[in-house]
Amino acid sequence: MILYDYILSPSCYRVRLLAALIGRRLDLWAVDVHPGQEHLSEPMLALNPAGTIPVLTDDGLVLTESTAILTYLAAHDAPAWLGEDTAAMRARVAQWLAFAQRLTDSAGAARAHDMLLAPGDIDALRGQATQALRELEAALSAGRRRGESFLAGNRPTIADIACFPHVALAPDGGLPLDPYPSIRLWMRAIRALDGFIEMPGIHRLHELKPEPGPMPEVIRKEQA
Amino acid sequence: MGMMGAACSDPCASAPTPDTGDTVPTDWTPAALSDDIPVASAAPGQLGPHDLAIWRSASGRIAAWADRCPHRGMRLSHGFVRGERLSCIYHGWGYGEGGQCVRIPAHPELTPPEAIRVPVFSVAEASGVIWVAEEAPDGPPPEFPGVVAFRSLQVSAAPEALAAALGGTGTVIETVLGGAQVVALIQPLRGGAAGLHLLAPEGSDPAALDALSAEVEALRRRVEAAEEMTA
Amino acid sequence: MSEGGAMRDQWYPVGMTKQLTAQGRDTMLMGEPIRVALAGGAPSVTDGTGRALPVIDRFGHVWTSLGQPEKDLFTIPEVDQPGRRLVDVGVCRVRCSPLRAVENFLDIAHFPFVHTDILGSEPHTEVARYEVEIRDDVDEVWATKVKFFQPQAAKSAEGGITTDYMYRVCAPTCSVLYKTCPPKPGEWDVIALFVQPLTETLCDVWPYMALYDDDAEMTDLIHFQQMIFVQDRSVLENQLPALLPLDPGREIPTRADMTSIAYRRWLKRHGFTYGAQLVAA
Ligand SMILES: N[C@H](CCC(=O)N[C@@H](CS)C(=O)NCC(=O)O)C(=O)O
Ligand code: FES
Ligand SMILES: [Fe+2]
Repeated sequence: MILYDYILSPSCYRVRLLAALIGRRLDLWAVDVHPGQEHLSEPMLALNPAGTIPVLTDDGLVLTESTAILTYLAAHDAPAWLGEDTAAMRARVAQWLAFAQRLTDSAGAARAHDMLLAPGDIDALRGQATQALRELEAALSAGRRRGESFLAGNRPTIADIACFPHVALAPDGGLPLDPYPSIRLWMRAIRALDGFIEMPGIHRLHELKPEPGPMPEVIRKEQA
Repeated sequence: MGMMGAACSDPCASAPTPDTGDTVPTDWTPAALSDDIPVASAAPGQLGPHDLAIWRSASGRIAAWADRCPHRGMRLSHGFVRGERLSCIYHGWGYGEGGQCVRIPAHPELTPPEAIRVPVFSVAEASGVIWVAEEAPDGPPPEFPGVVAFRSLQVSAAPEALAAALGGTGTVIETVLGGAQVVALIQPLRGGAAGLHLLAPEGSDPAALDALSAEVEALRRRVEAAEEMTA
Repeated sequence: MSEGGAMRDQWYPVGMTKQLTAQGRDTMLMGEPIRVALAGGAPSVTDGTGRALPVIDRFGHVWTSLGQPEKDLFTIPEVDQPGRRLVDVGVCRVRCSPLRAVENFLDIAHFPFVHTDILGSEPHTEVARYEVEIRDDVDEVWATKVKFFQPQAAKSAEGGITTDYMYRVCAPTCSVLYKTCPPKPGEWDVIALFVQPLTETLCDVWPYMALYDDDAEMTDLIHFQQMIFVQDRSVLENQLPALLPLDPGREIPTRADMTSIAYRRWLKRHGFTYGAQLVAA
């Protein structure tokens, strides 16, 4: 499987993250989106006329929507990540995959504006993103009341992976996450998953690693 | 810049830095819900003009510190908790009991000077709420029997407007919302916003709490729309 | 705050030469609107009143000044050595003081925590003593004999190595670092950080590199540097106060921060205070 990828793209990171979590090896093809605008070059437009990344190709299959790529990887290698096989749960996952596109179009566009000087009505984008973040916070707090730490029940699914990047990177677009305690705990749960990988702007949980010695207390005692 | 041994410091550096004319609350202020800051985690908070790093150690100890690393000013609420220490994400300086710097990774053998200390605020937990104060208040924060912590939300409206919408005044309002008897704690935030920490009846079933959640979201929409009209 | 003071007479990067268009691009320099365009095949910069500003086209970037620069823009002699690949990394905007952006670039102690498993990793956190001086003949800050253990020092590095560094501050918002170059022992890779001060708390950062690396794809070289810089961005946007404190006492440095201490001292000596805080608030 070849992933046409850009290190700073949260949508590409969705794919890299899921692949890492399920142990799927991808051949990464770096696209010079910024500053090169290579995603708008003829060869890339031939692959994806929409001029966006990521693009995943596998055996003649060409996928140009990151949420479809998540679905493909999970179905291919790790079906548990599609969510429980019930009508309600499948719909819940699909609902969040669509919601993830709202995050791309609001928080993602605000970040591209603030960081990479992309055009956009920044106040409108932040307004839409705030609305989406509030919806997510409400849903996650409802889940917590039922003992669920993820978007579709008690195990992570592609719904979480689709929403996580643009939420975690919202501060890059001038959207502080301070007001959202349930989002903070959910992001923590995702970052604590076995096999989690980071992208620039998202730090790993250093707390998962023990403090390297020698501890200062020991030195103090020795000196006393 | 003078240096004291390997590390240098100035006691003035550790004084809290009031930088606005806002009034600082003198009694306890609600800052977060206990369940929202589980063991070994940190979160940002506010108290009047001060930014706080509120964090809980691995053993469950809660602390509220100035959200500013004495080294190069990084927000400590972005840091990480290992055991009983909060470490800064920038250069990993570790701080323990009382805000004292106990580890500087760039100089692993060094015992950091006593003067490297993060300003510490008073903090206490009651009824599932984390309360903070600048000076230790005379008594403990209030307990509210029969209710438990439910949700914290931020409202882009003045605390007074939020209180009025809840049918009360001040910062502690007991009222009925969505058919439930609730306690609403209002926290003044900078930029004309308000924090709303809501306590709901003990033993409510999830569906009743979902209804309450929807009710409070609706209330927030109304308050913010009204605020926008007057702005 | 200040109108720029002594910093008005310095050169600043305002765009990539390759990206210039006849139509031009509106941007800002020290709070003033400017337009950067291609006029008759050459770069031109005008201020808000249409006045033409001085222009230099160097290192793949367009440079200008709101005042009257006394000196030519600094040079990086290594850039002209044959065999180096010159890399325009592209712009990244950061809500921070331009001076804080440069200071971060001069710092190695954050590598294990901010660039984990790439430029540093625990437990290799110790910063050994190094040498710092303000070179009066060239009026630059130099740090030499800087060493740090790195798991993946460059795109071309395989496995952990101890990397040697030299740092050079050649203008108030520009710094160049030299680091061990794995494919070519005895030579130094050159990485520069050119910072355009938009306001005292907002800047456009233009990283630039001159590397010995015949194997890597250009895109991979660009992305490696973008990755590193964007890892720093969330730190830079969360330092308090936003302005760089120049007076001792507000922040607490250690021996590992000698380059930063010299940089602050040099800024203060020259009155380079746009983006700085002079009296503790
Ligand atoms: N089709 C969407 C597109 C994601 C998206 O917007 N990608 C950005 C990079 S993060 C992109 O390709 N931008 C190119 C542009 O905006 O010109 C997906 O796969 O989720
Ligand atoms: S700023 Fe906190 S450790 Fe350096
Ligand atoms: Fe860095």
